[in-house]
Amino acid sequence: MDRRDFMKLAGGTILVISSGTYAFQFLTGSIRSATGEGIDPNAVRWGMVIDLTKCQEGCTACLDACRQENNVALHGDPKLDVHWIRKVKAESMIGNEVQEKSILLLCNHCDKPPCAQVCPVQATYRRHDGIVIVDHHRCIGCRYCMIACPYNARQFNLKDNEHWANKERPKRSHGVAEACTLCAHRLDVGKPPACVEACQNVGAGAIMVGNLNDANSEVSQIISRYATKRLREELGTEPKVHYVGL
Amino acid sequence: MDITFEKIKGDSVAYKTAMIIFALFAIAGAVSTWIVIQKGLWITGMNNRVPWGLQIVMAVYYIGLSAGSLVISGLYGVFGKQEYKPFARIAVWIAMLFLIAGLLSILTDQGRMDRVFVQPFVHFNLQSMFSINPILYSGHILICIIYLWALFTERKKLTTVIATLAFGWAFCVHSGTGAIFGFGARMLYESPLLPASFVAAAMASGTALMILLIVGLFKITKRCLDDRLVLWLGQFLAVCILVVVYFLFIENAYRAYVVELRQAAMYYLFGGLHSIFFWGGLIFLGLVVPMFILFRKKTGQSIKWIVIASGMVVFGILFERYVIVLPGLTYPQEILPGMHITQSMIQEGIAAYNISLAEILQALGVFGVVGFLFLWGLRFFKLLPTEAIIYDQIGLIKRIEYLRQKGIHIEDKKPRALAAR
Repeated sequence: MDRRDFMKLAGGTILVISSGTYAFQFLTGSIRSATGEGIDPNAVRWGMVIDLTKCQEGCTACLDACRQENNVALHGDPKLDVHWIRKVKAESMIGNEVQEKSILLLCNHCDKPPCAQVCPVQATYRRHDGIVIVDHHRCIGCRYCMIACPYNARQFNLKDNEHWANKERPKRSHGVAEACTLCAHRLDVGKPPACVEACQNVGAGAIMVGNLNDANSEVSQIISRYATKRLREELGTEPKVHYVGL
Repeated sequence: MDITFEKIKGDSVAYKTAMIIFALFAIAGAVSTWIVIQKGLWITGMNNRVPWGLQIVMAVYYIGLSAGSLVISGLYGVFGKQEYKPFARIAVWIAMLFLIAGLLSILTDQGRMDRVFVQPFVHFNLQSMFSINPILYSGHILICIIYLWALFTERKKLTTVIATLAFGWAFCVHSGTGAIFGFGARMLYESPLLPASFVAAAMASGTALMILLIVGLFKITKRCLDDRLVLWLGQFLAVCILVVVYFLFIENAYRAYVVELRQAAMYYLFGGLHSIFFWGGLIFLGLVVPMFILFRKKTGQSIKWIVIASGMVVFGILFERYVIVLPGLTYPQEILPGMHITQSMIQEGIAAYNISLAEILQALGVFGVVGFLFLWGLRFFKLLPTEAIIYDQIGLIKRIEYLRQKGIHIEDKKPRALAAR
């Protein structure tokens, strides 16, 4: 083997190994980053507690604040309106009495998000702090995430938002699926999400957000003290919105 | 026996009219799609509760037709049935076109069509069926191209290899498409049986489509077609239908039996427009009547009846696709178990979906593109054989009769020499 052959062989080997490693990392890495496996357990892990016993009937402070903060579209047509957080009334039978509750429903920011699992372009992903978020510049609008979400929390922008109130936040243009971001942009600068702030301002304080990995945080304390419930826990999606009084 | 393939002249009035009609469909679809791109998906019948509609139904249907017709080409390529060689080229051509139709339907359904050409190829997510399927689909088209090339250049060995690959690939393609729904979290979707039943339905619809195309094309272009070839396809179709019925029965029996799914099963079977589609369109028109026609001795041996049955199956499987995609979405998810939502800002409970004009035009447009390309292919590629007969005594006698009808006398040496063989 002369020097030229040796160089060819060595170069070829390096090329194959490096491209193979890259491809492997690209494929496996994509899986991990999409669904948030292999995340540092000591990092912040945002979660939410909703105390339904404190939630006031008829109050829409959190819904309005969310809409204002995030430019979530309200067209006045129920078919087109987008709701990142919605308030429903639900009945259940306690004995032979009908009990009615007002319940807030929003993205559960699952630790194992089915929406991120099915997103073909990784536009939906779980951030390292546990927030499930959509890159609306990357989303192709296939709506597979809406099929996969068991909470019906995903909302598709069927139409452009004509009222762009908060110019600091995106306009919410049509053709992409979005959902509650847990106001990641506010949490990143140390402010609570808009709904949490609004709920405190009306004096209810029914919504709390905090670090689930910190045993001393307000949310962890409530979860350890009260019997909290999560929606559809049996599906194994590990939702991070905990309800008191559900 | 070597078979000669030829192009059609394409100067008849029927050909030109068909081309114009298909082109008009395609233009209507393009205009509708352009409006959807400009305005957003709100002009379609879809909404936040029912995020998939007619375009997804059509996509699944087309992909099924594609996988099914590829199986017919496999009769020659894989199983070496020489008598089906005349249909091999046309089957692969139609398989390729319908897969393109499926992709076009998916493309025109996206919220941001401009991003489809970049993002899925840059940001893979191998956990998503929507990421795996494009690999299967593009592979399918590539295989079809190589397959066609092998057939055109009469490479026997390559044909066998690529046909076998295509045969297996077609199964994967359609299982993958079924898995989009089967692996989903909706009550009426989630089923490991779905990919398999998708393949069965694809085989049925693909075979039926090929029967329609073969009989139609041979009749219009006045070519000699041996009835026995169609009769066998008819029997094959009957078996495919049986398998579809079997899968449908198992699936619905399971849902009706398991307490958790019973309510959903009742909604599926007796809950609205889709139930009429299910019983009337799929079960009665698409499966029971064709099966009766095909298994009955008198009608099962008649080309006319087989064609009618095939038409019903092609139509019936479209309903099957509809009742797979839509009831699964309109049926509500159980967000709050044990509770009943009485008031909400969005549609809770059973949701509504109405097919809009925009979607119908888009679907017609895709069909127009396929029809146009198909006819164009007949004129520019040697797709159609001069004749399709089984080269035995009966077949050759038939051929001589056929030629006599055309005014060619049997004194011609060729048929005699053939008959002697």
